[in-house]
Amino acid sequence: MASIGRLIDPTPRLDVLARARMRASLLPDCLAEARRVANTVIAGWHGRRKRGIGETFWQFRPYVDGEAQSRIDWRRSARDDHLYVRDREWEAAHTVWLWADLSPSMHYQSDLAIASKESRALVLMLAIAELLSRSGERIGCPGVMEPVSSRSAAERLAVALSHASLEGGMPDLTHVGRMSDVVLISDFLDEEASLERTIAPAAQRGVRGHAVEIHDPAEERFPYSGRTEFRDPETGQKLVAGRAETIAEDYRRAWQARRVAMSEAIRRKGWSFLAHGTDRLASEALATLHGHLSGLPTTGGERS
Amino acid sequence: MGGLPLAFGAPAILFGLVALPVIWWLLRLTPPRPQAEPFAPLAILARVLKPEETPSHSPWWLTALRLLVAALIILALSEPILNPRDKTLSASGPLVLMIDNGWASAPDWDDRVAAAEDLISEARDADVPVSIAFTSDRRNDATPMSASNALEQLLAAAPRPARPERGASVTAVQAALAGTPPGTIAYITDGMASDDGTEALGRLFALGAADVQIIGSATGAPVALTDTSNGSDALQIAATRLATEGSISIPVTARDSRGRDIARGEIAFEGGSNAGTGEITAPFEIRNDIARIDVDAGLTAAGVRLVDDSFRRRRVALISGEAADLAQPLLSPLYYIDKALSPYADLIHAQSADLAKSIPALIERQPAIIVMADIGSLPEQEAVELEQWIENGGTLVRFAGPRLAAADNDTLTPVTLRRGERELGGALSWDAPQPLADYPEGSPFAGLPVPRDVTVNRQVLAEPSADLAARTWASLADGTPLVTAADRGDGRIVLFHVTAEAGWSNLPISGHFVDMLRRVVQLSNNVGRAGGSSNAVLPPYQLLSAAGALLPASGDAKPLDLSAGRTPRAGPDNPPGLYGTEDGYVALNLFQSDERIEPLDIPDAGAPVSRASLGRGDALDLKPWLFGAALLGLLIDTLIVLVMGGALRRLSRRRVTAATVIVFAAGFALLVAAPGAIAQDSQPGDVDIVDKLDQTHMAYVITGDDEVDRISREGLNGLSSYLANRTALEPGEPVGVDIETDQLSFYPLIYWPMSEQAPMPSEAAISRIDAYMKNGGSVLFDTRDRIDDLGGATAGPTRRLQAILSGLDIPPLEPVPSDHVLTKAFYLLDVFPGRYADGPLWVEATAASQEEATAERPARAGDGVSSILITSNDFAAAWAEDENGNRLYPTVPNDPWQREYAYRAGVNIMMYMLTGNYKSDQVHIPALLERLGQ
Repeated sequence: MASIGRLIDPTPRLDVLARARMRASLLPDCLAEARRVANTVIAGWHGRRKRGIGETFWQFRPYVDGEAQSRIDWRRSARDDHLYVRDREWEAAHTVWLWADLSPSMHYQSDLAIASKESRALVLMLAIAELLSRSGERIGCPGVMEPVSSRSAAERLAVALSHASLEGGMPDLTHVGRMSDVVLISDFLDEEASLERTIAPAAQRGVRGHAVEIHDPAEERFPYSGRTEFRDPETGQKLVAGRAETIAEDYRRAWQARRVAMSEAIRRKGWSFLAHGTDRLASEALATLHGHLSGLPTTGGERS
Repeated sequence: MGGLPLAFGAPAILFGLVALPVIWWLLRLTPPRPQAEPFAPLAILARVLKPEETPSHSPWWLTALRLLVAALIILALSEPILNPRDKTLSASGPLVLMIDNGWASAPDWDDRVAAAEDLISEARDADVPVSIAFTSDRRNDATPMSASNALEQLLAAAPRPARPERGASVTAVQAALAGTPPGTIAYITDGMASDDGTEALGRLFALGAADVQIIGSATGAPVALTDTSNGSDALQIAATRLATEGSISIPVTARDSRGRDIARGEIAFEGGSNAGTGEITAPFEIRNDIARIDVDAGLTAAGVRLVDDSFRRRRVALISGEAADLAQPLLSPLYYIDKALSPYADLIHAQSADLAKSIPALIERQPAIIVMADIGSLPEQEAVELEQWIENGGTLVRFAGPRLAAADNDTLTPVTLRRGERELGGALSWDAPQPLADYPEGSPFAGLPVPRDVTVNRQVLAEPSADLAARTWASLADGTPLVTAADRGDGRIVLFHVTAEAGWSNLPISGHFVDMLRRVVQLSNNVGRAGGSSNAVLPPYQLLSAAGALLPASGDAKPLDLSAGRTPRAGPDNPPGLYGTEDGYVALNLFQSDERIEPLDIPDAGAPVSRASLGRGDALDLKPWLFGAALLGLLIDTLIVLVMGGALRRLSRRRVTAATVIVFAAGFALLVAAPGAIAQDSQPGDVDIVDKLDQTHMAYVITGDDEVDRISREGLNGLSSYLANRTALEPGEPVGVDIETDQLSFYPLIYWPMSEQAPMPSEAAISRIDAYMKNGGSVLFDTRDRIDDLGGATAGPTRRLQAILSGLDIPPLEPVPSDHVLTKAFYLLDVFPGRYADGPLWVEATAASQEEATAERPARAGDGVSSILITSNDFAAAWAEDENGNRLYPTVPNDPWQREYAYRAGVNIMMYMLTGNYKSDQVHIPALLERLGQ
């Protein structure tokens, strides 16, 4: 009788080298998948839509006295009696901080899920990075990679991740600038106070944030029955339920209550909250997150 | 061991039972192991999980079950045996092991080997040498040897299809021991007496053994078939076995030469009797096919009765004095004999009316019987030859007749005959025709019901003599002999004093005649058995194994010497089997007809004798049963643990559903697939065949010349539409046939245009066309060369036609005569133009054409339809039209009426094909109507 859930990639904590090697072998896959997912979403993503400093043509407009004559587009102006200036599209970059929780509790996958939580979190993170880097945003990862603006930012993030550890709980957001976006991807199963501690100062500074909660369907639905011993993969703590099916209802209620409370707390700070189960497709969460990042005006000032 | 007959192979293991309380204590402490699950949101779970009272130890009955399992395993490991065999092997000297491996040991040979193995392993334990001897082996090396060598020798031995030769074995043992007194003498016997058995055992026991073990068979005694004989309506079987208390019936099966079951019967043994008889009831024809008779259960070499040629169907040669006249078969002398014997015998007829040729030819074919109907004197040379043949065992059956009655000093008669015949009930006779008298006691016909309606009008008479009565098999009511017989050498001469046809009596046309002839045939011997002459030495052909299987001859069998006149008894040199060659062989069976099986008389041994029966007897090894019970307990325990652990509830989610769906789907698939698999009798191409049969199709030969084939298709299309318009026939699409491969028999007419460009059809194709024509099909050959033909030289297509026709069986041909049915089949025609006008149409010449040329009948009978029509007018081109009905080729000369006539010719040909000479009858209608008075 196989257990319903299992720990994916159960490496000892000290085995850093093996861990890094395994991470390196996992990441190209995730990156490839991220590229594929990004391609499906990129349609309709149309740059800044305002003039400014950039490389691509935006519009011709009549020359106004006082402007530098070197900006006159002579080829266009020669066609009639007016002088025209060639405007270019503004291509200023925005900084987005991405962070995914890769703690041991994320290395979990049940029979009901498509992928482990960690794999899903990495896919989402790198897919967002791919999307953003394709539109020229600056991407960083707190504690791992300083923000870079590069077409290959996703690859660089992957390389950086393969050398770093993201196991140390919630990230330090004190260096995050005022106008930046933060994307936190985690199962948020740590104590609630730590989340509060992380988010609250950043939110007060005006950092816009998005929290993506990754959960396994087994954690949400509790499909266990019979005499079952539950073990926390992070602490190793054990709990034995004599007849697991009797407490399923209570558990589900508690799980939902906790999630509602957490999402309320996050939304109250002006951040968005997205719950995503690993039995769903990654692109669903990616599309929603994409909408949050691009469409929903929350703090304003980005678009004038 | 007290009252319980239980022994342990490894009693030390029973101390393991002491550990049971410890196991009990451990089991009580160990709760069932929970299912381990990693679970990250443990904090949430911890909030809702109330401290629950999980049982700290398993329920007492579960513990008891596990203790029981442990106890069972311990007991099983200690190898308990119920009713163990006593071990009483004397260690004072070598173990002498004598084993009967004759035919009777075959059914339970494995048990014998097992018993011997037990003894040898005991000898190994006791460290005594073993001297082993097999009574049916030709040579025995009984030198005492180590137990392992003896075991090898034992395993190499096999039962032999022979009787035990105990004397020789004991002599070998005596020689091997050289005076050393043996410890134990163990004799594994089949319990059957042999010639020197008792005497040999006496010598064996005289060696001075410390003790003697006699081990005999526990199962039923094997059966030996001793004789078979062919009775009038059943096959009689004699058998022997060791006498037993109750009466018993043993089923036997008769098989043919390929081992197929053809008849069954039973042999009954009375209680206390060692001989039994039985019969297999089967028709005579089937009994002829019997090659061997097997005992169904416990087949041994003696349980098989092999049957050779002498048992088989007789070959009967028929010779008559007159040449067979087919016109009046009922008057032929051999007709009734032929009819009477053909179901029971292989008949061969004389090829020549010349007796000097036919008799040697017939004798060469080695008949069992020669029937001579009304043959007077024989050529001298042939008479000697015939006599020789009779001496060798042939049976000569003669029928009287005018020639025999007129013959002088014919020696080949059983009795001396008076010249001339006696007539009863004729115009010049006082006597009434005589019926048959009852058959005399010793006659082979005795037992047959005497028919009262058979009367004899005329007969030849025997000279009265002293032995006439003894030689008479049947006589008339007035005492004159009707059938007489005399033995000559191994053979016999039988004379019927009447003719073989119904001229002298009505005996040949009565059913009784058949019975009489059958008896005569059954009495006869098959002459000229394997090897031809009786003093042959026959090589082994197929030999019986001890288990009764017929195997190709092995090396150590010697040829069978028949020169003594009698078949020798089967022995080591001549194992039972078939001797001779495939063409003819003699069966040698283990038992002669007078042998009986007697129980072996074992003399007083002068030492303690213990008797045992084969096999382990009552000794029962409990080990597997105990292990089985333990396994069952473990299974129950597993189920209980699964139920307690919630597995069933867990399973009751979607896996059970999926599994159930799969099981039901598989079952349903089986149900659905099974009838589907049965209904697979349709063949590929059936649909095509049904299509072609549904409608009449005209066919043309695909010559391979595309142009010609296209014209053929278009032409037949045009003719088809013309037929559909004008007649009741609505043909289907014309079909192009490949005469090499296609089925031709669907088409009434095949149009075959000749083309020199086309490849020549193969021989096989031409012979298929030939068969098609012979079976009623018709081929219309069209050379299409009328226009080229005018110059007089033979054109290419005609040469091709000649080439093709040279391979066909063609009747004489003639141009269509003016009164041929073809001219009247639908339209009244006198010419058959095609694209060209004046070429003749050739048909099969009507047989009576010459004779009836002058008759005034308007149409010839023309029985049957001409299977061949030949024209040179290029019909197809005249008929050809495209889809729109446009004519494709101009006629030569360009005359619209010529085309019309060409169509009419086609219609007439088609109607002629389909209706045959029906139209030629129609022309009589006016005359018939006139005769009817209308």
